[in-house]
Amino acid sequence: MSSEPFELDVRPVLRDGGEPFELIMQAIGKLAPGQAFRLLATFRPDPLFAVLGARGYAHAARELADGDWEIMFTPTNADAKPAARPEAVSTLDDADWPAPLEEMDVRDLPPPEPMVQILGRIEAMRPGTVLAARLDREPMFLFPELAKRGHGWQGAFTVSDDIYELRILVDGLRR
Amino acid sequence: MIGVGLSRWTLAYFAVALAFFVVAQTLMVLGFGFPGFALQAPETLVLVHLVAVGWLTLLICGALFQFVPVLVGAPLRQAWVPLPALGLLTTGLLLLVSGFLQLGGYVIWSMPMLAIGALLLLGGFCLVALSVLATFLQTMPPALPARYVILALLALSGTVGLGVVFAFGLSGLDEEGLFAPFIGAAVPMHAALGIGGWLTLTAIGVTHRLLPMFMLAPDKPSLPGKIGWWAALVAILAILAAVVFAGVYPDLIALALLLALGAGLVLLVFYGLDIRRYYRLRRRKILETNSRMAALALFCLFVAAVMLAISLGMGARSASIAASVYLAVFGWLSGLGLSQAYKIVPFMTWLECYGPVMGRMPTPRVQDLVIEKQALPWFLLYFAGVGAGTVSLLAGTPLMVRLCAALVLTGSLGIIHQIYRARLLKDVPETLHPAAIKPPRLFVSTLPAT
Repeated sequence: MSSEPFELDVRPVLRDGGEPFELIMQAIGKLAPGQAFRLLATFRPDPLFAVLGARGYAHAARELADGDWEIMFTPTNADAKPAARPEAVSTLDDADWPAPLEEMDVRDLPPPEPMVQILGRIEAMRPGTVLAARLDREPMFLFPELAKRGHGWQGAFTVSDDIYELRILVDGLRR
Repeated sequence: MIGVGLSRWTLAYFAVALAFFVVAQTLMVLGFGFPGFALQAPETLVLVHLVAVGWLTLLICGALFQFVPVLVGAPLRQAWVPLPALGLLTTGLLLLVSGFLQLGGYVIWSMPMLAIGALLLLGGFCLVALSVLATFLQTMPPALPARYVILALLALSGTVGLGVVFAFGLSGLDEEGLFAPFIGAAVPMHAALGIGGWLTLTAIGVTHRLLPMFMLAPDKPSLPGKIGWWAALVAILAILAAVVFAGVYPDLIALALLLALGAGLVLLVFYGLDIRRYYRLRRRKILETNSRMAALALFCLFVAAVMLAISLGMGARSASIAASVYLAVFGWLSGLGLSQAYKIVPFMTWLECYGPVMGRMPTPRVQDLVIEKQALPWFLLYFAGVGAGTVSLLAGTPLMVRLCAALVLTGSLGIIHQIYRARLLKDVPETLHPAAIKPPRLFVSTLPAT
């Protein structure tokens, strides 16, 4: 642990009706390796736990006397990388995502049905959960749509090269 | 992978291409060009270029601007290119055609229109090649379909280079006579590089991806596909060698072209093996109209190739050459182009209209944008007309040729009407049509590339 926790208070932003996600991700991006992160918010930000969990941060949430929340995010190992840019979520190796909550196989559907099915399924899933889908090709038109809707994803062909394994972290990029 | 958005100008390319196709076919019905005129008469050249450049090349360029990014998994590079390229290619072609009319004595105007037109076309093609190659370079080594397209661009450079030489020679701008040895002798190479190289190789590359995609067939690189590519390379290099020989050793031209023909047939055999594999191993048992019509187009390719080989072996009569080229251009390239446009336009339209809401509200399927039962008779009329036209050309009956051209034109107009209806969502049943969705603009895709 190299230094003091970095502190960010997003309560004023939230009270003004603003969206602090961008601020939080910027703050995470600036953390030194191993540095913890203390967040103050007006509610318990459950979706954020999954997102930062994927980046290697454990969390401890505590309700304050006035109903606000204090959350301490600490890197799970001292080598935790500083947060990557959102695009980097779409590579397979550097993520430690929760196990898929739901799985689907859309290999026998003609394009663009796999996209429709996948997007339909994640609409009904809670933020921070993961959908695993098997496709028979890389869904090029799906990725911009996932990005636009704030979902993170990672995907790759299996070793045998005939199945594309896609995992989507619901709200992983957050709109 | 950050994925791919919609290509903004692809449908504008398709629209201009279809307009040129209709104009060219109308001229054929009116008896303009072969067989009423000689094979190398200016009238025939007008027709050939309206079809090869105006219709097929613009169709292919429009398709490439959407297809190449999908192939690479990254956005189009030099994304400003499509619109100015469309302007250059269209203006260049109109001037080129005016130049041919000038040669035929239809236009009395002293400007060297052939040369100016050829230079504008050259500029347009350079832009297209720049953008496509820069996009391909983002992933090395390129996938098999991409390698076919790259080879096609090599053939295109040969075609256009020769075209510029011809245009300068015929415009009287070549006072030294440098281009004179090429003007007669290199016409077969110009045609072979254009139709067999540029147009056919891009079509082969695109079908290697599109057919398996829509039929749900495995499309991993295959050995036949790779051997076919090497054969195609040999064929293109042999034709380019023949071009060089036209300047230095005219005696060797025939040998080089023979080699090209042999390599071309090898390519087609291996391509045929791949295509057979796609259709056999497909997981989508019921074929859609686009895949069924593509099969007819592929059949035309193989028949045309055999006809061409036989007619060259039997002394290359104009009629049999014309019949095989006609079958290749109208049956194979145009038939394939129409069948794929009939799928690509609804697909792009669907993405544009329903992409933003998919998964959030019920949407029609892509198939719901078209009524296949209505399109099928037009396709069948089209292919029947092409078959009959090929026979009429072989038989040398000009009136029959025109009659068949009328059938083909009618079929084309029917198909175009179906594509138009799909674009404007006219065939989507009311019950499936969310009120929030407006029909898109006819010629421009508005979903920004991400």
